Amino acid sequence: MSNLLVSKLPVEKWVSEGVDWLTQHLSGFFNVIQSAGDAMMTGMTNGLLAIPMFLMIAGVFLIALVTSPRRWGFPIFTLAGLLLIANQGLWQDLMSTMTLVIMSALISLVIGVPLGITMAKSDRTQALVQPILDFMQTMPGFVYLIPAVAFFGIGVVPGVFASIIFALPPVVRMTNLGIRQVPVELVEAADSFGATSWQKLLKLELPNAKNTILAGANQTIMLALSMVVTASMIGAPGLGRGVLTAVQHADIGAGFVNGLALVILAIIMDRFTQKLNTKPSQKLPQSRKRHWFVLATLLVMVGGGIVNSFAMTSQSHEKISLGYVEWDSEVASTNVIGQALKARGYEVSLTPLDNAVLWQSVASGQIDVSLSAWLPNTHRALLKKYENDLTVVGTSLSDVKTGLVVPDYMSAQSISDLTTEANQVITGIEPGASMMIATENTIKAYPNLAGWQLQTSSSGAMVSALEKAYKNKEEIVMTGWSPHWMFSKYQLHYLEDPKATMGGKEAIKTLARKGFKSDHPEVYNILAKFKWEAADMESVMLDIQSGMKPTKAADKWLKANAKTVDSWFE
Amino acid sequence: MPKVEIKQLTKIFGKRRKAALELVKQNVSKDEILKKTGSTVGVYDINLAINEGEIFVIMGLSGSGKSTLVRLLNRLSEPTAGQLMIDGQDITKLNKKELLDIRRRKMSMVFQNFALLPHRTILENTEFGLEIQGVPKAERQKRAEHALDNAKLLAFKDQYPDQLSGGMQQRVGLARALTNDPDILLMDEAFSALDPLVRREMQDELLDLQANVQKTIIFITHDLDEALRLGDRIAIMKDGKLMQVGTGEEILTNPENDYVKTFTEGVDRSKVLVAENIMIPALTTNVIVDGPTVALRRMQEKEVSGLVAVGRHLTFRGYLSADAAVRARKAQLPLRDVIVDMPVITPDTLISDILPIIYDATTPVAVVEDGRLRGVVIRGLVLEALADTDEEIKSSEAAPHVTEPIEREEMQDV
Repeated sequence: MSNLLVSKLPVEKWVSEGVDWLTQHLSGFFNVIQSAGDAMMTGMTNGLLAIPMFLMIAGVFLIALVTSPRRWGFPIFTLAGLLLIANQGLWQDLMSTMTLVIMSALISLVIGVPLGITMAKSDRTQALVQPILDFMQTMPGFVYLIPAVAFFGIGVVPGVFASIIFALPPVVRMTNLGIRQVPVELVEAADSFGATSWQKLLKLELPNAKNTILAGANQTIMLALSMVVTASMIGAPGLGRGVLTAVQHADIGAGFVNGLALVILAIIMDRFTQKLNTKPSQKLPQSRKRHWFVLATLLVMVGGGIVNSFAMTSQSHEKISLGYVEWDSEVASTNVIGQALKARGYEVSLTPLDNAVLWQSVASGQIDVSLSAWLPNTHRALLKKYENDLTVVGTSLSDVKTGLVVPDYMSAQSISDLTTEANQVITGIEPGASMMIATENTIKAYPNLAGWQLQTSSSGAMVSALEKAYKNKEEIVMTGWSPHWMFSKYQLHYLEDPKATMGGKEAIKTLARKGFKSDHPEVYNILAKFKWEAADMESVMLDIQSGMKPTKAADKWLKANAKTVDSWFE
Repeated sequence: MPKVEIKQLTKIFGKRRKAALELVKQNVSKDEILKKTGSTVGVYDINLAINEGEIFVIMGLSGSGKSTLVRLLNRLSEPTAGQLMIDGQDITKLNKKELLDIRRRKMSMVFQNFALLPHRTILENTEFGLEIQGVPKAERQKRAEHALDNAKLLAFKDQYPDQLSGGMQQRVGLARALTNDPDILLMDEAFSALDPLVRREMQDELLDLQANVQKTIIFITHDLDEALRLGDRIAIMKDGKLMQVGTGEEILTNPENDYVKTFTEGVDRSKVLVAENIMIPALTTNVIVDGPTVALRRMQEKEVSGLVAVGRHLTFRGYLSADAAVRARKAQLPLRDVIVDMPVITPDTLISDILPIIYDATTPVAVVEDGRLRGVVIRGLVLEALADTDEEIKSSEAAPHVTEPIEREEMQDV
């Protein structure tokens, strides 16, 4: 028994090695899927976006009206909901989310229904697949993101991959159930008339199981929707990104609006799929006309899209993808660079990512540039891991400090002074952040911190906690870094760090993927020149914090510092 | 050559079939085998020959293996051992394709719960068999409509099964089976799910049909009356084994063993019979609320010429004859004033005591307990009850001066 606890089985190692092996040996296959998938998704999103917004809203409203005659609730809800989303400026996000959900659901159905049929036809398959489905459904969705990134990089494809794994089980289960639930007598009847297996499946089992399968499909769509937020952590665009950003900045309003848009989309999709569920004898006599009407409406919408896309002139720009982590400092710097490049005619995409994923994406060339490397200490481990696969372009900000921060009304001046303050809890940020690893090491290094705990949360949540503590003059110890707007809003100070475990002198550096210099020499030079001061950054941060949109705040700063900016572009 | 010939057919469900088969040969009971091997004996060592054009009824209690037997005939379940000859061809040896062909052309099946496909209209259900065979749409619809027309259901062809009554649904099931024009119809308790009246109608229809089309019909039922009405020959099964095969008369007169004997007897004659054993539910009229018109209507509906008059809660009042009801209607009298007395006995009256009463009665005899009507006893029942007992009936040579109301057999359809 004691052996069991002494030598740990290297399960983690096995899994990592397995995934590594797959990534290496199937990289060609994954890349094909990724590029094809990306092209398909982008095409679909662009197709949806090409349809003029109001034409689409009107079309969906009309279809809702036709499919639920004499009932006004659902069509009006559809109209009002979509108009609200459009009004909040979330239309583009909504279309990206729709693409993600529709694709995940479609692929889930294409895989799931045949799998369900196979399960229903063979008890052995059922015994084999059932536990796998249980595993897929109970494993937290986040776990799928890790191999998804390893296989497909970042963006919408891994999002779809993770959504499929998560959303597949219900449709498989319900298909299996639906077919197994076809009454024995009916199956015997079909057999007694000499039906082949295929005839039985097409003429009896599928029509009979249709409603159960549709219920499963409905579940699948809902689960795919719920994965949207999770998938946005690895760069899937759409409404999920808004929710995630709001969580990381503890921004209640934005979170609610994005969440509401998701709810509206969910309800609309749910009602539409439920409308497909009818009893045969309840079929409406004029359903033929209805089908034609729905088809015509769809055609008008598509036509509008085609006309519109011709009207839209497509320019080809140099495309630059910027990745960043949702820390306030990085939101500021990335948006400033993004807006500056956009103003000079580059096509720029900004992708918020988890820190470790960001490094990995730059290393694998998925993302061109990251402005969020904190070196040499904070991100040391990551640099060590990826240094052969990326280039450090330059330093964008050199007066950076990280450490443990307390409000001025607390008496502690050094980390070694800490005893039992703040219930022996250090309020931290996202668990993957390097500052958290530094803090863990600090707790180990200082004997007086024995018994202290590091609480993980998010950058936004930490500030919310500070706000609350500050109001009530309660004690709080946080992982802090500057530049940060909280230093200009509150009276705070760093705790001295005699053992220098929280990092000494730090700078924010700009990273680029290998080969970026030869692909985009101009932009590379601009990035190499990009440098600003903590005060600059904090002014942009405060603007954003006080409710300005990041792009607006960046524009404001760019206007005010036109000279400096021009000097980068010389 | 018989149309269908079954030789030593055995079907055992479960895992350890060999062991179970050994035990069956040693005459071990079904439950015992299940306990020992975990296998269930479906049917064991069935030998039968069924001739062309006969209605062959297989009957038995539930669990006797009759449904299994019929499913072995079209190989919905695979026999464990034995042979099945149809037109001299052993169908247990057929490959998949040949078997499908036999099912499509030679046999059709009608099910207890109709087994209509709920997502298809009546017409689509009826043409199902031909659709499976790949018959062109126009032709199969024509044939299906013809079959529906015969079943008087053509008007409903675009309805869905759940919009029809049970009897109609079963007609569709039958029409569907006949559309294929098979040689053999397998009917698995086809009328058991219908109410007694509709059931009778369906039986009559089946007999009419058989007079026209001359199919070989293998009919499964657990109802002796149904078997006697329909069957040219009857096979009785118990625990997967065949007990006796013969015409209805043979089975009733020469039961080969005790099981068949008790099975075919409505009553157990080993005990002394009392009125309770042979009485049937009475056809009543409530004289407090019913008028003569209602009573006459009820007599017409039930095809009888008299009713037992009762008050509230079935309190016994007397007898109302058709003549009396007509009189009451003409003279505008309430029924109370025209009812007459009828002989009354208690439920525990012995049959031997009932006999003299029955002889003298002009009406059925009412069985009354504590002033409540429990049922009636009619002459035919008494005679039947005594037919096999040793007791001699003192038959009066004098012509009976009684014409008692002719009670139709419905009254026995309890």
